Amino acid sequence: MSQQNTNESNARADSSPDPTDDEMLIQTDVSGSVSSSGGPSRRETVVSAENINVWYGDDQALQDITMDIPEKSVTAMVGPSGCGKSTFLRCINRMNDLIDSARVEGDLYLRGKNVYDDDVDPVALRRRVGMVFQKPNPFPKSIYENVTYGLKIQDKGGDYDEIVEESLKRAALWDEVKDQLDESGLDLSGGQQQRLCIARAIAPDPEVLLMDEPASALDPVATSQIEDLIEELAQDYTVVIVTHNMQQAARISDQTAVFLTGGELVEFDDTQKIFENPESQRVEDYITGKFG
Amino acid sequence: MATETEHGEIEGFGQVSRTVGTVFRYLLIAATMFGIVTLAVLLVYVANDAIRPLTAGPGWYLTYFFTLVVPTLLVGAYVRTRDRAAFSFGVFLIGLLVVSLMFSGGVGLLVVDVVPPLVALSFALGLAVPAAVAVVLTRNSHRISFTTRLVATSLAFYLSLFGLPGPIGDAAGLPQVVPSFVQFVQSIPVIPVDWMMVAAVVGGGSAAAVGAYVAGVRDARSGLYAGLAAFAVSVASAVVGPFVGLNPVPAVVVTAVALVPTSTYAWRGAFGEDGTPIGLGFAATVVGGALVGAAAVEAFGFAGPQSWVDWQFLTSSHSGSAVDAGLYPAIGGSILLMSTVAALSFPLGVGAAVYLEEYAPDNALTRFVDVNISNLAGVPSVVYGLLGLGVFVTYLGQSAGTVLVGGATLALLILPIVIISSREAIRSVPSDLRQASYGMGATRWQTVRNVVLPEAFPGILTGTILALGRAIGETAPLIMIGAPNVVFSLPTALNSKVSAMPLQVYAWSSLFASEDFYTKAVPAGVVVLLAVLLAMNSVAIVLRNKFERTG
Repeated sequence: MSQQNTNESNARADSSPDPTDDEMLIQTDVSGSVSSSGGPSRRETVVSAENINVWYGDDQALQDITMDIPEKSVTAMVGPSGCGKSTFLRCINRMNDLIDSARVEGDLYLRGKNVYDDDVDPVALRRRVGMVFQKPNPFPKSIYENVTYGLKIQDKGGDYDEIVEESLKRAALWDEVKDQLDESGLDLSGGQQQRLCIARAIAPDPEVLLMDEPASALDPVATSQIEDLIEELAQDYTVVIVTHNMQQAARISDQTAVFLTGGELVEFDDTQKIFENPESQRVEDYITGKFG
Repeated sequence: MATETEHGEIEGFGQVSRTVGTVFRYLLIAATMFGIVTLAVLLVYVANDAIRPLTAGPGWYLTYFFTLVVPTLLVGAYVRTRDRAAFSFGVFLIGLLVVSLMFSGGVGLLVVDVVPPLVALSFALGLAVPAAVAVVLTRNSHRISFTTRLVATSLAFYLSLFGLPGPIGDAAGLPQVVPSFVQFVQSIPVIPVDWMMVAAVVGGGSAAAVGAYVAGVRDARSGLYAGLAAFAVSVASAVVGPFVGLNPVPAVVVTAVALVPTSTYAWRGAFGEDGTPIGLGFAATVVGGALVGAAAVEAFGFAGPQSWVDWQFLTSSHSGSAVDAGLYPAIGGSILLMSTVAALSFPLGVGAAVYLEEYAPDNALTRFVDVNISNLAGVPSVVYGLLGLGVFVTYLGQSAGTVLVGGATLALLILPIVIISSREAIRSVPSDLRQASYGMGATRWQTVRNVVLPEAFPGILTGTILALGRAIGETAPLIMIGAPNVVFSLPTALNSKVSAMPLQVYAWSSLFASEDFYTKAVPAGVVVLLAVLLAMNSVAIVLRNKFERTG
């Protein structure tokens, strides 16, 4: 089963999707958007989920999620609280493994390799998938040590000074902290801390960058800095971001996935299409603020 | 008010009776104070018996009043109104000086009477060399595999401490081919003078600590200079010591353990970043006042209090007459026991705590262990004594009442407390940090080592020190394992008989119960025991405050 899925996924990633496929709703949407805008969906698929189901104990948190996330773009996941969008994000780098009661079924491919195969080491997987959390969580170490943490634990060589400078520049933090690299990361403001966390995540050069509501604990100025930063990062990284700020999703994402209560993926399409002309009535209701 | 009554809307809200609440509040205050006040009264009583402040003459009091009390109050009030932080820095500095002087007494006792300087030097070098190898290997960890490093490090330690073939060869009856580095150092024909060896070991250790501290505050170069300067001061003190009435060895120990660290801290607090020199001025007033007072009392020949806690009491052993009796072997015994307890319970306790918090799956076995660790913390100490007697003496055939058996028994006693407090400290590390580390692709071991343990370490250390404070006061387990009530010399090896402070006090109050011992030796012993305990706890309190500020 799993092997077969791999082949299908590869096929889908390489060629244009087959409209008669089982997961027709999403596939049709994607192909529809390709024909209308010719946008980012033509890019190669990096992460591909197939029938992902997640349970926490007896509660089902995600139902049959199937979606393809294209590379070097921003994919936003929106939805009301408790709809499973963060859970899905944590499936991609198997952070759910750390929760004893969590159970994941289904297949999730990263560049064609099922990350839930028995031979996949979740630690090795997480080294290829960076993650930024909702609350800024720099280590109580110096800024320099924060950025080099990933390199050190991965035994990566290289010129650390250069990598630190490069990562902090990419995270738009270099100018503010270049004279205080030896000071604690906790002395920074909330927005700076979150950018430090982003610098820390990109320093080991991951393939995918997961962001779990990275701006929700920040003030508007810091939020807009983070948003600008995410758009820049999408030129080099595949960014998957969870947010419950609809405007944020509209501003920065290329694709938007709408999750609704009960852990189902209702619609996944180009952001423009989702916000201007969604297929599903429930999505329209949610976006226009009728519920949720 | 007038308008309100005019409109007749608000006449007043009436009164809600608070009688019950007030009564309850005062009952709570009474409950809080009851234990503290009772204990304080008892301690004042004991301290009065031990130190006998009323035996001092009025001249003595007047002298100290004018040299110490008045300047302290005046300068203290001035500094406190000028700068609160400077005042607390000054107070802390005095506390640091007192506690470090007590510690230097303990270290001095170890290097003078327990471990011969040559042995200490040989083991210090024997450990320093392979430790340096380990550090170099770790620095280059990305080039050398873990297995190679482990083997090389173990080999370095084994060769340095045991030589070839060492204990493994002894078991097989092979002769020693290559002497260990320790043996080599001990057999060198030119033996330096005692104080030089003590300066190398104690002064070297203190210089390394000072250097590391300064390097952390400033930079590596300043750290190196500070370390070298600290070492030079320790060595120089041996030459200067005899002129102020100190033998070279104690002079080196006091300088290296007490004076050098205290002045490093004082320098940082006074002249470093955000320094407060007036805080240093306050500390200097107090210390200077005490010294001037002492000199004046000496010069005028005023009689001080006829305290039972005096130099003679601290440095002699038990005697048939209460006036000549002393606590020295018991103090040394307690220090050795505590070192053994710390060496045994710290790694075991922290290891168990890390396993239970970070690794153990949530299953029936874990819950069973959980519940039983809490139960073990409540088992009476006499039961642990029986356990120690049964396991170590009867079953393992150790001789009764030795440092090793006593230390192991007390370590078992406080192990549950160490585990519980370490778990508490580990649990208080925010899970955000663990998530961040795992999210970066760290393994469990890397997360524990790089994130969890550094964050939890002050808390773990605080808990361990408080647990040691419990162990140092235990009498029952020591009686059970057959520790002698009275020993006349310090134990010099792990298998020599040991007594401890509480045991000696117990012996004075039961076996040698006489009016003399009751009124002289017992209170003096209690005061010394409590002073040592408070010194240990003050370290824990300082650590906890530091922990709470940053955490």
